[in-house]
Amino acid sequence: MADLDTARGWRISVDTGGTFTDVVIADPTGRFTLGKAPTTRERIFNGLRNAISTAAETLGLTLPDVLARTDILIYGTTRATNAIVTGNIAKTAFLTTAGFPDVLVLREGGKFNPHDFSRPYPAPYVPRRHTFEIPERIDAQGRVVQALDEGQARDVLKTLGASGFEAIAVSLLWATANPVHEQRLGALIEDLLPGLPFTLSHRLNPILREYRRASSVAIDASIKPLMQAHLRDLQADLRDAGYAGEILVSTTMGGCLDIDSVVARPIHTVRSGPAMAPVAGRRYAAAEGEQESVLVVDTGGTTFDVSLIRDGRIAITQETWLGERFTSHMLGIPAVDARSVGAGGGSIAWLDPAGLLRVGPQSAGANPGPACYQQGGTAATVTDAALVLGYIDPNYFLGGRMRLDVDAARRAVQAIAEPLGLTVEAAAYSIFAVSNEAMINAIKDITVSEGIDPSEAVIVAGGGAAGLGILPIARELRCRSVIIPRTASVLSACGMQFSELQLEASASVPTRSTAFDPARVNQALDGIDAALESFATRLAARGFTERRIQYRVDAHYGAQVWDLPIDLPCRRFATAEDAEALFEAFHQSHLRVFSVDDRASPIEFIGWTGRVSIRLPQAADGPEEVDSVARTTQAGTRSALFDLDDRRDARIYRGDAIRVGDKIEGPAIIEEATTTLVLPPGARVTLSPHGSYVATLDL
Amino acid sequence: MAADTPISTVRDTDLSPMLLAVLANRFDGVVREMTNTMLRTGRSAVINSARDFSCGITTADNELFATAEGLPAHTYGLNLQTAAMCRFHADIAEGDAFLHNDPYSGNSHPADHTLIVPVFWEGEHLFNVCAKAHQADIGNSLPTTYHAAARNIYEEGALIFPAVRVQRNFESNMDIIRMCQRRIRVPDYWYGDFLSMLGSARTGEKRIHDICRKYGKAIIRRFVTQWFDYSEQRMRQAIAELPAATIVRESFHDPIPPFRDDPIPVRVKVTIDPQAQTVELDLTSNIDCMDNGLNLSEACAISNSVAGVYNCLPSDIPRNGGSYRCIRMKLREGAAIGIPRFPHSCSVATTNVSERLLNNVQAALADLGEGYGLAEGGIGMGAGFCVISGLDARNDNHPYVNQLIIGNNGGPASPVCDGWITYGIPVVAGLMYRDSVEISELSYPIHYREMRLAPDTSGAGRFRGAPALCMTYGPSGNPMTVVFAADGQTRPARGVRGGNDGNVGRMDLIDEQGTEKQMLNVGQVEMRPGQWLRGLDTGGGGYGDPLTRDPDQVRLDVLERYVSLGHARELYGVVFTGRAEDESLAVDSAATARERARRAK
Repeated sequence: MADLDTARGWRISVDTGGTFTDVVIADPTGRFTLGKAPTTRERIFNGLRNAISTAAETLGLTLPDVLARTDILIYGTTRATNAIVTGNIAKTAFLTTAGFPDVLVLREGGKFNPHDFSRPYPAPYVPRRHTFEIPERIDAQGRVVQALDEGQARDVLKTLGASGFEAIAVSLLWATANPVHEQRLGALIEDLLPGLPFTLSHRLNPILREYRRASSVAIDASIKPLMQAHLRDLQADLRDAGYAGEILVSTTMGGCLDIDSVVARPIHTVRSGPAMAPVAGRRYAAAEGEQESVLVVDTGGTTFDVSLIRDGRIAITQETWLGERFTSHMLGIPAVDARSVGAGGGSIAWLDPAGLLRVGPQSAGANPGPACYQQGGTAATVTDAALVLGYIDPNYFLGGRMRLDVDAARRAVQAIAEPLGLTVEAAAYSIFAVSNEAMINAIKDITVSEGIDPSEAVIVAGGGAAGLGILPIARELRCRSVIIPRTASVLSACGMQFSELQLEASASVPTRSTAFDPARVNQALDGIDAALESFATRLAARGFTERRIQYRVDAHYGAQVWDLPIDLPCRRFATAEDAEALFEAFHQSHLRVFSVDDRASPIEFIGWTGRVSIRLPQAADGPEEVDSVARTTQAGTRSALFDLDDRRDARIYRGDAIRVGDKIEGPAIIEEATTTLVLPPGARVTLSPHGSYVATLDL
Repeated sequence: MAADTPISTVRDTDLSPMLLAVLANRFDGVVREMTNTMLRTGRSAVINSARDFSCGITTADNELFATAEGLPAHTYGLNLQTAAMCRFHADIAEGDAFLHNDPYSGNSHPADHTLIVPVFWEGEHLFNVCAKAHQADIGNSLPTTYHAAARNIYEEGALIFPAVRVQRNFESNMDIIRMCQRRIRVPDYWYGDFLSMLGSARTGEKRIHDICRKYGKAIIRRFVTQWFDYSEQRMRQAIAELPAATIVRESFHDPIPPFRDDPIPVRVKVTIDPQAQTVELDLTSNIDCMDNGLNLSEACAISNSVAGVYNCLPSDIPRNGGSYRCIRMKLREGAAIGIPRFPHSCSVATTNVSERLLNNVQAALADLGEGYGLAEGGIGMGAGFCVISGLDARNDNHPYVNQLIIGNNGGPASPVCDGWITYGIPVVAGLMYRDSVEISELSYPIHYREMRLAPDTSGAGRFRGAPALCMTYGPSGNPMTVVFAADGQTRPARGVRGGNDGNVGRMDLIDEQGTEKQMLNVGQVEMRPGQWLRGLDTGGGGYGDPLTRDPDQVRLDVLERYVSLGHARELYGVVFTGRAEDESLAVDSAATARERARRAK
């Protein structure tokens, strides 16, 4: 492959996870080469360098060779997420409107189990003792009801300066309607505490609902010092290693941003990993001619993420929680709607007091891991079940890098089988089937809230454990087909290869369809354009010129509370027809999502958003072309269980021995170096020219 | 048309453990999908913002089958309601839908409209799906869905639907829709919510069909039997671990002058029989029905005493007909807390006395010994739960009426942790969402001046109750009518096992001159612009002796301003060095030990 001696035009994407750093190198023809190395938390660059080096080796090149040819490096990081989870964030002050100190404590209410009184109430993101009330008040119409008490504000800021605060989050009521007090506070901070990082709510995230706005502001401010240092260090390390190209950072919207933009609003890096999977999924699905309804699932050892694409658009949400819903903290900014459930290969099977079989949410994780890892784990996990069922070759797990102990797995599953009066195999199949239920639930939840029938969708499955259970899951959901990219195990890193530079700006301008105010809306859109323009201009100067702007508005029928995002049919509202077209788009969207519309009811439009997307130059047209000349050869058979009492000989194939276009029928198992695809009876798969296994099912 | 063999009594060979778990998940999924559908399509804020609704499934022979995340106060009676539907109609058919809100035949209170759809498969009636939602308005004589003063159903004025058929062959009976739209104050919201409930129920029907298609009737029948048996077994195991006891406990709802000058006694006798693995809840010694709207419906009497028991057992026991088999209810006809006698009003059945009943049962169980039961949770629908109404000057004087869900009483302390802060009231136990101040101000002509958790309001204890919320608001444009029916303003949530009580709540009207006047707990007020209503909700009761609380937790409470330095010393016996302001506060262990030893004497 070293004959591809292109001097430049390469692109590297890096996904630094908690355990491993994944790297994808794309050459100018769009060919992908993967690399992997352990993540090095103390200095992220080391793991990144090692991962790039392993990929370079595959190419017969050296690290400096690769870096010299690369124009763009896209960096995905869990640094911010980890810092938040471990509480390793800046000492942050929360400045709020006097009288309303408990915005971050009260959240928006809600709880899961009404009869559970065993869990303490979660602490607020910023402690109450670090919350400071600023005398001022704006009302819902943006009028100043109480003027900002500057003297008091100065006193508070002086206290902050004297008390070692490292960041300030400012979120005042109705700053979205009139930012004058927040602006003044910003000026006072710059004046009195120069250099101290701070975030103002109307600038970061001008949405309604004080909790989620304040939460986003608090999160953003609290990771500013950390992320600024982190990104500057990484930049310096890359420059020292001889890399002279552009450094971009992937975001929670499924796009990427330049370092300067991220440093100004680091919250956009939180949960960017799960946001990238659908970006890859969209491209892989499109390559196979699918884009209408696509479900993208990403299966890891402990979590299962699912996201959704409709008509080529990735579903977004304003309600992303950093952890569990209700009890963690809401991200509050628009983000790719990637829903996580605690389910994966490490999920532990157990029996409740009345003997009902349960799987998860407890997980053996990577340490001690499943019983078959022989690292001290004894509980039966889904991976153990898959091993007992014959789905995994104990000698070819992770391409043979790790040997699994079948006896240990059987012993673990035996502990579940015995009380249930089942054979070990039947128990293993039961564990496997029950674990699939959690994933089926997660998929149903996201399709219901988007008004999509899963049977009309295709699934793109990624993640190391994706291929084990995805076909039975697809069958339950009656999905037409499933796409499993060969690069499934590094879906997020692949997604970055297909991403664009993206920035959003918003404004809250409530207006009703019965008294639609085009002048105010147009004014807001002008403001949005201005905000995006400075970003676009800055990047254009660096050669990123191919851009487009899309607008949307969050709207609901009068007295509804939850919004639907509606794409604007025009850039500005010039005529009555423009507004009518928007109203019509809302009715249709409501009908589609909720199976009902109410044309007699007024529509309330609230949050207006513009998004500029800037294409990265020389982006690959599609997933890598795979030209294989090998003949598809079978590597033998293995006995495997495909239902409680359905044992069959499955044909075994090694992934590198499969030819484009060949059909493989279940029962069969395809073993790739980083993932395993189990084809139950009635499933068939073809390797597409775009490097994906495309499976269809007899339903 | 009930099935020949009642669906829940079929006995046959067992399903595989796998199928049992998978089908349990599938039916749970049906209810979750119904819930999500309603949450996203509901029109009034009580539904889509506060989540004051529940979905569930009953069997064709009217046992409660699946409830998912429903409010405890809502879900129990669904089986009584579908039983009424079967009793009243001999010609139930596929394509029917029934509207039920009759508290005399199984509903919680008239404001909870319930849509019931019978689910048929292969011509046989197998299940009923139910969507129940608190309405913004139901056409009462006053603009509130909680009419405390109503001496009877006539004065209350609610339109009552005792399982009235509103759809046949999937077509709505527009006569009934039009009747509702003529009477209900916000006809468009009501109709929107009606469609939302209907959509949710029809979704449930469709999904149950999917399950039947895949697995067949025989398996579904076996599953129902086995799932009830499994649930019963979980319940039996839990009860077997409790000590045998009979506990009689009485508590009181505040007096509600001028409608009733005496407190309302709430009495329960709980008998735990671990041998027989049953719990008996005897409510027969309660007073006769009252001439006000606070009488309980039968559904509320049952569900809130049962919820008190469930609160003290492992929280993953399914709440359904199977686990209910272990609970014996003794109710008296004509009792205010029992089976109401028509035409006594049950307008306020779901909250006030229900809250006291639920608290009473869970606190009674604390008498079983250390580690059992719960303290009482904060009570009362104070200022943050009022029904507001008026004309919105910002919107062509369009009328509005809605219940605020922004107040907050503190949760009860348990044997293992402090109270849940966004508890709301006992009957919703934290499940409801809270309104956002900004959304509330945008949707209604209301302006908030303050909203904060009040220090020293939680009941002290080894584990303490959660604090109460304090808030002040007033009309931002035209005058605003505020209707309220609060509790906890003379009698607080009680602590248990040596834990202290929470604070008493109050409401004050502040006029233009700043003069404050305490309001009665039940009534209504027409507020002028310039006037403010300030409400203090109630904190939850504590569990166990405050002198045994971990001093480090007390320190954190002081730093976080939930507990004052004074209370830390007086109630918890904790002595500090340093200052809270600069976070140098530290527990003086020796002095604390001395102080606690002295106090323990």
